[in-house]
Amino acid sequence: MLRAKWWKILSFVLLLYTCTYGFIVKVPKLDDRMRESIRNMFFHVPMWFGMMILFFVSLVYAIKYLRNANPVHDVYSNAFATMGLVFGVLGIITGALWANYQWGSPWVGDPKQNGAAIALLIYFAYFVLRGSLLDTEKRARLSAVYNVFSFFMLFPTLWILPRLTESLHPGGQGSEGNPGINGKDMSANMRTVFYPAVIGWTLLGVWITTLQIRLQLFKLKKEGLL
Amino acid sequence: MIQLLQTTAADNSFMLRDGKIFLVMTVVCIVLVGLFLYVASIDKKISQLEK
Repeated sequence: MLRAKWWKILSFVLLLYTCTYGFIVKVPKLDDRMRESIRNMFFHVPMWFGMMILFFVSLVYAIKYLRNANPVHDVYSNAFATMGLVFGVLGIITGALWANYQWGSPWVGDPKQNGAAIALLIYFAYFVLRGSLLDTEKRARLSAVYNVFSFFMLFPTLWILPRLTESLHPGGQGSEGNPGINGKDMSANMRTVFYPAVIGWTLLGVWITTLQIRLQLFKLKKEGLL
Repeated sequence: MIQLLQTTAADNSFMLRDGKIFLVMTVVCIVLVGLFLYVASIDKKISQLEK
């Protein structure tokens, strides 16, 4: 799977589709301020979807590590968390840029913006923790435990609290259901680009993660630790 | 001069249509292709290391 080619090509095809049809597809004219910037849905939102998926895979490998103490699983968990954080940072930067033109300021204190910032800071602490421990086994075990905690902090910071109060993001108080999964909020035209975009960006993230994993495993083997 | 520009515009209508959005689209695609080529080249280098 690490070296298989087909899904890397799929990622390229889906992203090429996103970056061409995403500019052409007919989008609803919502208001005079939004105009064409709704197309950011194909670039800004998949960063968050991708981040959540990569963090989830990182969590799975953290739990696997805690069950069998296999150092390979620690390498996997660390690499997926790193790429997830890259996506999160890109998401928050693109979000601030979009907010500047839609809401009038890069940071308006929207509950989801604040929640996302807290979630990212919690994950930053994961790398601080890793960097502060020299003993590899201790580092792997503690960071796996912390990884479980930080993933479950996504529930309040991203998935619950922003939806309980008024929010400028979709899915705040007063709107029905989950905007991430309930695609009815998005026009059918846009959905034909949005879901391929999510898959494409996520696969690109997974690809870069596998490169990191292979490099780390190669290093460990060379040092005779594996 | 304006007339010349207009004829050129007509010849390159694809790139200049709809507020030149297709120009942006092409730029984004070039960035994407470049990025993928780079990632693929790293993939290849790591594969060589592993052998």
